[in-house]
Amino acid sequence: MTKKYLTIIFLSVLFTLLSSQKVSAENYGLSIYPPLLRIHIKPGKSITQVFKIENLSSTDKTLITSIIPFSESDNFGNPILDPKTITPWLSYFSLANSQIKFNEPFNIAAGASEQLVLSISIPEDALLTDIYATIIISTYENSLTQSFQGSSIRATLGSNLLITINDQAYPDTILKIENFYPLDNNYLKVGNLYFVDSITPIKFTALVSNEGNFSAETKGVFRVSTSNNKPIYLDGVLPVNVIAKSRRAILSIDGNNFEYTPSLSNIGPHQITLEIKTDNSNTSTTIEVFFFPLKLSLGLFLTLLIIVSVLVITSKSSRKSIDTQ
Amino acid sequence: MFSIPSLDQNMKMIYLITSIITLIFFTSLVPNIVFADNLKSPTFEVQMSTINITGGNKSNEDHSINLNDTVGQTFQGRFNSDGFVVQAGFQYIHSIVPFSFKISNLDIDFGSLVPGVPSTRTNTLTVTTGSAFGYSVKAIEDHPLRRVSGTVATIADTSCDLATPCLQTDANQWLDNTRYGFGYNMSGTDVDLGDFEDSNFYRPFPVQNVDEPAIVMSKDKMATSSAATVTYKINIDAAQAAGTYQNSIQFIAIPAF
Repeated sequence: MTKKYLTIIFLSVLFTLLSSQKVSAENYGLSIYPPLLRIHIKPGKSITQVFKIENLSSTDKTLITSIIPFSESDNFGNPILDPKTITPWLSYFSLANSQIKFNEPFNIAAGASEQLVLSISIPEDALLTDIYATIIISTYENSLTQSFQGSSIRATLGSNLLITINDQAYPDTILKIENFYPLDNNYLKVGNLYFVDSITPIKFTALVSNEGNFSAETKGVFRVSTSNNKPIYLDGVLPVNVIAKSRRAILSIDGNNFEYTPSLSNIGPHQITLEIKTDNSNTSTTIEVFFFPLKLSLGLFLTLLIIVSVLVITSKSSRKSIDTQ
Repeated sequence: MFSIPSLDQNMKMIYLITSIITLIFFTSLVPNIVFADNLKSPTFEVQMSTINITGGNKSNEDHSINLNDTVGQTFQGRFNSDGFVVQAGFQYIHSIVPFSFKISNLDIDFGSLVPGVPSTRTNTLTVTTGSAFGYSVKAIEDHPLRRVSGTVATIADTSCDLATPCLQTDANQWLDNTRYGFGYNMSGTDVDLGDFEDSNFYRPFPVQNVDEPAIVMSKDKMATSSAATVTYKINIDAAQAAGTYQNSIQFIAIPAF
């Protein structure tokens, strides 16, 4: 009897498993290269640039591409797109593809790649200015079935275009270093002097502000020097683009905040300098730091206090015992 | 038997110990000789004869990263002769790996909803920055979930629990099953876990043409297959008009520059 039941259950499970349909949710995957295009161009000139896009999903996709301007970014270079903005310079952009046009859907097969041939033509009378835009590729919105209850997901990815229109290769830039100070509150500030423990690693943060009308790239060094101006530590600045009228965090070459680990020998006044050099201007900021062995001194003080206390107590108890005798 | 030290002897001992410790302390503070021309850190070495921030090759100790400056006559010369200079990608990342964005499921189908019983669905967002240095993924909906036929009816975007209200850029607890609406939670890599503290923290989606898209993932460095799970949650009131409700949510992945 039990055997019969077990066989029925086994067969039921087997048939259920075999008869179940494969459920595969529609997925999305798209890649683009290059993710950034930096162009310096004179008025009256034209260029073309190929963007390679690849459909990484398991199904064919209908996509749509367009150019979205932006004029602002956050401190880490993420553009704040403004799709509502309509500027005359959007007409500088066109696609040289025969099949793909801006704002018109096109298909790309699963696993296939496609090239977007972007043409940029700057008129002779174009304003000498920077223009910033993102070329975006979005999934084309399909109509949902009436029975579908929920959200259909659309995906968009993009690549940024930073374009400087000028007669000069290096138009004037005005960069200023701001908010350069130690992090984590591991310091004591008196006036402009930072007192910092000499055996604790210390991190620094800084921003660069571009007050000019053209993008600039941050190149430079973070330097720790003695009071005699002898450098004892040097780190590179990560080269990043700072668009006009924006701020950007300055990071070390490995993309982190600048960090310096002093040694016991680093006692006394030091200078921490951040230098940024653009193609036609320099800016630097220096903060004065006094390294002193705070933790070591506290340790020694406590040690001395304990020794002295022990000796005093020993001495007192000895006196007492003499007095009682 | 044992001689008990007098107070004078104790004081002498204190002086002696103090002197020794002080001597050791100040000896340790004698500065080492610093060779100013040896500009080298554990992570970076500048190979230049002079301290100059332009020109020359720079590399780290194992030479896995090599950077070079292109400042100078090369750029200027090209600009003068051709009238333009194009730099694709990032100078300091020698990679042709593309920027990619994947979403595991484009159809978030809740099926039938039961009033007062929250329903959740998930999908996964995956980003590889390739040769870009940082990225952000933002989210926005075209409108709140809206009934597709009949008179207009919507499922409002959540405002989370009464005691812990949430905003489009500020997640908060949504545990109360008598609080109705539609919202999302984020977990995984490159998610602001200071905001989405746990799986009960939700936000409403911003609405297109009304609000700014909200950042749901971001990183200020390179990312390789950074994956985050989006949990969508709906809870409806018994008074919710019957019907099928739909909307469209857009995730926008843009590399940093």
